[in-house]
Amino acid sequence: MKRKTILEEVLDRGFTRRDFLKMCTALAATMGLDFSQTDQVVAAMEKNQRVPVIWLQFQDCTGCSESFIRSTHPKVESVLLNMISLEYSEALSAASGHQIEAALEHVLEHYPGEYILAVEGSLPTDDAFLTVGGVSAKETFLRAAKGAKAIIAYGSCSSWGGIPAAYPNPTKAKPITHFVKDKPVILVPGCPPIAEVMTGVIAHIITFGKLPELDHLGRPKAFYRHRIHDKCNRRAYFDAGLFAESFDDEGARQGYCLYKVGCKGPTTYNSCAEMRWNGGVSYPIQSGNPCIGCSEKGFWDNGPFFVRRAKIPASQTTINPETVGAIAVGVTAAGVAAHAMVTAMKKKDEHHD
Amino acid sequence: MSIPTNPKIEQKQTQVVWKRSRKAKNIELNDEMVKVYVWELPVRIFHWINAFSIIVLMITGVFIGRPFVSASIQEEAYYSFLMGWARYIHFFVAFLFTINLAVRWYWVYKGNEHATSNPFRFSFWKEAFETIKYYLFMKNNKKHYIGHNPLAQLSYWIFIGLGSIIMMFTGYYLLFEPQPESIYGKMFMWVAHLFGGDSYSVRSWHHLVAWGFIIFTVVHVYMAFREDYLQRNGTMSSIFTGYKIERKKEALGEHDEK
Repeated sequence: MKRKTILEEVLDRGFTRRDFLKMCTALAATMGLDFSQTDQVVAAMEKNQRVPVIWLQFQDCTGCSESFIRSTHPKVESVLLNMISLEYSEALSAASGHQIEAALEHVLEHYPGEYILAVEGSLPTDDAFLTVGGVSAKETFLRAAKGAKAIIAYGSCSSWGGIPAAYPNPTKAKPITHFVKDKPVILVPGCPPIAEVMTGVIAHIITFGKLPELDHLGRPKAFYRHRIHDKCNRRAYFDAGLFAESFDDEGARQGYCLYKVGCKGPTTYNSCAEMRWNGGVSYPIQSGNPCIGCSEKGFWDNGPFFVRRAKIPASQTTINPETVGAIAVGVTAAGVAAHAMVTAMKKKDEHHD
Repeated sequence: MSIPTNPKIEQKQTQVVWKRSRKAKNIELNDEMVKVYVWELPVRIFHWINAFSIIVLMITGVFIGRPFVSASIQEEAYYSFLMGWARYIHFFVAFLFTINLAVRWYWVYKGNEHATSNPFRFSFWKEAFETIKYYLFMKNNKKHYIGHNPLAQLSYWIFIGLGSIIMMFTGYYLLFEPQPESIYGKMFMWVAHLFGGDSYSVRSWHHLVAWGFIIFTVVHVYMAFREDYLQRNGTMSSIFTGYKIERKKEALGEHDEK
């Protein structure tokens, strides 16, 4: 059976070609492409077929799926219905039981090397913690990963280990990159990731037939190139030295920088400040809540929210560097004073002798 | 037929390659005492620029990490630039600190015998151990050193050597991380892999090692005053003038050993 191209799918659904071109333009903008590259997107959508996608969920909270379905540009229905064919998803598939398992088998068998595997949640190294229908999570994942064209790790759990891997990590959870080494993996961290980033990554793969450009940690550069701090709408207050000291003071009302109430924007790579959330309405810092750094590695262990700390290297412990540093200097000064006293006493003794 | 060589010339060339560290200059005062030019001008300049840099970097650094004062004009952002200036001074002094240290590294090879240190000798560690015993008021065989004692040298290796390198690399990473595509960005992006992979871990290193410098400073200043108090050889004034007053026997004796 010949599969329809994305354009044909769109036209079949009663849209005009004009709508199709609009969709492509919006998509190009979301992917961070230059307007002149829109024709590449159009060409790709005219020629390419819908890409089969398998969406697996492991140690997760379905928050990434929830975020995904709130994508506004491209609208999630256009992604779901026109661009990809979501063959298997625990949260979104209408079918269930044997039917849906058969659909999964069908994709693995008929589209090897073509389908995209989207993974939500971390994997436990101890199978006892996650075995579904007698099959361990690891086995399910590796079987689906074998024939995948690319793997997308949606969310901080599948990218870094996330909350399941936070101290004391009872399930010995690991990110998916721990289990598969020979496949291209795109990390789309965030708790959850921004909906438009999630759809944008898929759109990029469909458009260009290859992975988007990744940074040194495997995240798409288009969306994880900058820190929140670099594009923050409150950045001017940071540079001015105007800080909210608590959540209910005048500074907070004036919209001052949230650095002193523990904003982790300066160490967090994500595009919240540019893309924003819920169709570009707002994002945490804009609405008065400091960034919690949810898209960073080990964010749950990087100290309490609303406090800025330093992590002791190679541990999951954080301390207040200024307090600990000042105490250490105090102890040193006391030691020096004691040493000086002993020195003076010894010298006195020598004189007496 | 082999080319005839002059063994004398060969020996001379070997001497040039394996140049011994330059001896410090002496000025005889009387039969017993001698003025030794221990710290040459570049060493003294380095010392004071370094001390100045560390203090300024620490004050601005703590402010950047934990802003202890707010801008005085509690109005719109454009009236003030307090954090901006703190950051600007921090970065400017960081470059000064780096250049200063680079010059000092050059002087390790160019300077006199007291400008360098060789920890790859057994005697270095043995004498450092003796010095530890000396500072713990235990029986010891510590010699009198005209320059730095081996324990002091070790502390410079750890704090001024390794500590500065950690601070510079993590610092430049943090400075250039918003522009990973720039030349400077490319120069320092690998640093993250060495210090835990993410921005937060690199930052944590930068914050923690900074306090090591303050602890070092406290101990270093104390030790210098203590040495001056016990030896009465002008240790404290030597970092301004370069000269220490030493016994002729010791000043010249140490040279003979080397």
